[in-house]
Amino acid sequence: MKWIRAVLWAAAAILPLIAPLFLDRGMLNDLWQLALAVILASAWNLLGGFAGQVSLGYSAFLGIGAYTTLLLSLKGVEPFLTLPLGAVLAAAFSIIIGLPAFRLRGPFFTIATIGVAEAVRVCASSVSFTGGSSGLRMPTGSFNFNLNYFSMVILAIAVVATAAYVKSSPFGHGLAAIKQDIDAAEGVGVNSNRFKLAAHALSAAMVALAGGLYAINFQYIAPTSVFDFRLSLSIVLMPILGGLGTVIGPILGALIFSTLQIKLLSIPLLRDSFLFIYGGLLIIVMLYEPDGIVGVWRRLAPVRRIFNAS
Amino acid sequence: MPPEAILSARAISKRFGGLLALASVDFDVMRGDIFGIIGPNGAGKTTLFSCIAGALSPTSGEIFFRGERMNGLPNHTVVKRGMVRTHQIVRPFRQMTVAENISVAAHFGAGRRRGADADRSVRDILERTALAPDASALAGALTIGQLKRLEIARAMATEPQVICLDEVMGGLNPAEIVGAMALIRSIRDSGITVLMIEHHVHAVAGLSNRIMVLNFGQKIAEGPPQQVMNDPAVITAYLGAD
Amino acid sequence: MQQQLVSVILSALLAAGLYATMAYGLAVIYGVMRIINLAHAGLMMLGAYVTFALFSRFSLDPFAGLIIVGPFFFLVGVVLYRIMGSRLTRSNVSPSIESLLVTFGIWLVLQNLAYVIWSGDTQSILTSYTLKSVKILGVRLGVPSVLVFLASVASLIFLNLLLKRTYLGKAIRAVTQNRDAARLSGVDADRISATAFGLGTAFAGIAGGMLSTMQAFTPDFGRSFLLKSFCIIVLGGMESVTGVAVGALVLAAMENGLAVYTSVPTSLQDAVSFALLFIALVAFPQGLPSLFTRFARRSFR
Repeated sequence: MKWIRAVLWAAAAILPLIAPLFLDRGMLNDLWQLALAVILASAWNLLGGFAGQVSLGYSAFLGIGAYTTLLLSLKGVEPFLTLPLGAVLAAAFSIIIGLPAFRLRGPFFTIATIGVAEAVRVCASSVSFTGGSSGLRMPTGSFNFNLNYFSMVILAIAVVATAAYVKSSPFGHGLAAIKQDIDAAEGVGVNSNRFKLAAHALSAAMVALAGGLYAINFQYIAPTSVFDFRLSLSIVLMPILGGLGTVIGPILGALIFSTLQIKLLSIPLLRDSFLFIYGGLLIIVMLYEPDGIVGVWRRLAPVRRIFNAS
Repeated sequence: MPPEAILSARAISKRFGGLLALASVDFDVMRGDIFGIIGPNGAGKTTLFSCIAGALSPTSGEIFFRGERMNGLPNHTVVKRGMVRTHQIVRPFRQMTVAENISVAAHFGAGRRRGADADRSVRDILERTALAPDASALAGALTIGQLKRLEIARAMATEPQVICLDEVMGGLNPAEIVGAMALIRSIRDSGITVLMIEHHVHAVAGLSNRIMVLNFGQKIAEGPPQQVMNDPAVITAYLGAD
Repeated sequence: MQQQLVSVILSALLAAGLYATMAYGLAVIYGVMRIINLAHAGLMMLGAYVTFALFSRFSLDPFAGLIIVGPFFFLVGVVLYRIMGSRLTRSNVSPSIESLLVTFGIWLVLQNLAYVIWSGDTQSILTSYTLKSVKILGVRLGVPSVLVFLASVASLIFLNLLLKRTYLGKAIRAVTQNRDAARLSGVDADRISATAFGLGTAFAGIAGGMLSTMQAFTPDFGRSFLLKSFCIIVLGGMESVTGVAVGALVLAAMENGLAVYTSVPTSLQDAVSFALLFIALVAFPQGLPSLFTRFARRSFR
């Protein structure tokens, strides 16, 4: 059984890499969006799914990554070289926020993150060097879609691989322990604060890298696009839909979400109803199957066994 | 504090708002002891364990472990230094297997094991606590007897020098109690000092070499089991004054 | 100088009334059911829109409209509870996070509802007195703000009477302090929860209605007020109307003081409120706000 899974994972990694050979630009663009969604969902899942700390403020990290790349590029730095700096800044910011915020438990931490994200958005819209509410453009020239495409796909593969590695590592087990019973985890020697900060920083860095790539591809950034609350919401919704705390969950969620986005945008009636859909999905999942698709799959196990036996 | 004492408490008091849960408790535990703590419900025994383990900070008083002052240190630090406690109401990681529960403790406890070394340690503890057959079972599916053993196994996996067992025999049938007593003796024989809170007075008397009695947050007796059991103050505390 | 101070105090007082009404809606639901109701923002927004609809369709004065909004939203709240309340206890994620996300979903649905019915255009209510002002103690204050203050005080007095004098009120306070003990004393926790949800929703609606007289609104509005409500509950606790009122005063005083005495631009003022929320959440882990002690106690076992 195990080798089937390995083959599937390998295929999932290789297919997008060879896609440019037979897909047109429009579809590759969709794949790029999907890769971005996978990165955001998987990265958030490190803290939100593995460690159980739900943050509604991840748009801040995307924005930090995007703006670092944008501003430094405007100063003449090669865009791709700015990416690591964006990651470092986002990680640092995540630690600054995390140090006080992680003292809060559960939903109170979540509320604090809403506050932080809002504060960041408000500040970013008011300050002039971000271009204010009208945003900024990347310097012209050197837009290379293929390069952008491959970098996003490779980042997605790297992020998912990292998530898989973390999940089975002692660090990942520590995070799971924190999620299930933080006091008992402390009671066996887990320094919960340090673990949460580490998971937060790692995921923030990943999101920031995606933010930088986003800036490079979109060429235009405004505070309303990168610091948007709806973005933070989608980042949270994807892993929840797919399956919190699993490796495949965020990917499934990202798939559904991206498909939904694309379909919604093409049907005018639905375009105005996306909040209904997001909200409805959130309500249904949380009330009936908090473990998302993976949870439903697991519940069907007895049924599947019957099919396998016959 | 006496040089051979591995754990010393001086004038430990703990106040919760208007409630004085612990009032100036003093005691010393020697290396290799099995130190029993008994007393009626509400006497403050679990609170005392929480203070020792670092889950709570004493309102006043000092705790010394291997010569170092421990009060105010966070729980995980205390564990890394070698003192661990189990919980009266078990707190397993329910969505992890038995083996995973134990390996978390092996990785992050005082032993700080990694890789194959950690796996070996986990297997060893599974054997000693008779949990080997259940190693891949999810903790959420175990019986109370198994859960109690898991609680102890996890504590053992941190490779402590002092282990504080909080009512591990609660809810066990007589056969399981005999098994638990044997396990506790084997823990002590492996070089770990044991503190145990227990209501099963016979078990405590049979295992401990010294017992302390708490009532209303105060120490009312301390000494070898026979002496403490016959102490009139202790009898009164359990049966009420006549 | 003195005039400035009076101005700050009066503005703060007026704002505090509204804030207290708004915060109480959140407080009662959390207190009784431990549900963090993010839909509160959506309900306030809806309150504004319903008041607006009554005004634009039937020319009903917004303050008179509040009398309809209150009971209507109470019913909405009870219905919402009946649909969702019983299910909010199963989980894999800890119950409170789940309830938070469900109410968040409700908020999104409400936003969409508003977009569909009223479109995303900015709306506002313009009555004969909207732009008038009145001089109190030498300070010029907008008429709507003063009316809002009076309406808030009225609702809070009503609330206080409800809590202190009626069985329902006592039951609510009892469940807030200790749900199990209250149930053992014969309180029907389910009915009280439904009532509390209705009450919280009603107050959200009324607060929204009041807000509609003072500023323009879109379906997106409500988030900053939601955060301010949290801030108030954390600062002042939620077991009594006085606690909420104190928290509201502190926040309002800080905002107005900041606006008058410093040069922080208005656009950043919200950021300051959020920062205060953050600081309040982190700095008061054990103290006055029972919101917190209860949570801390629960985790210590």
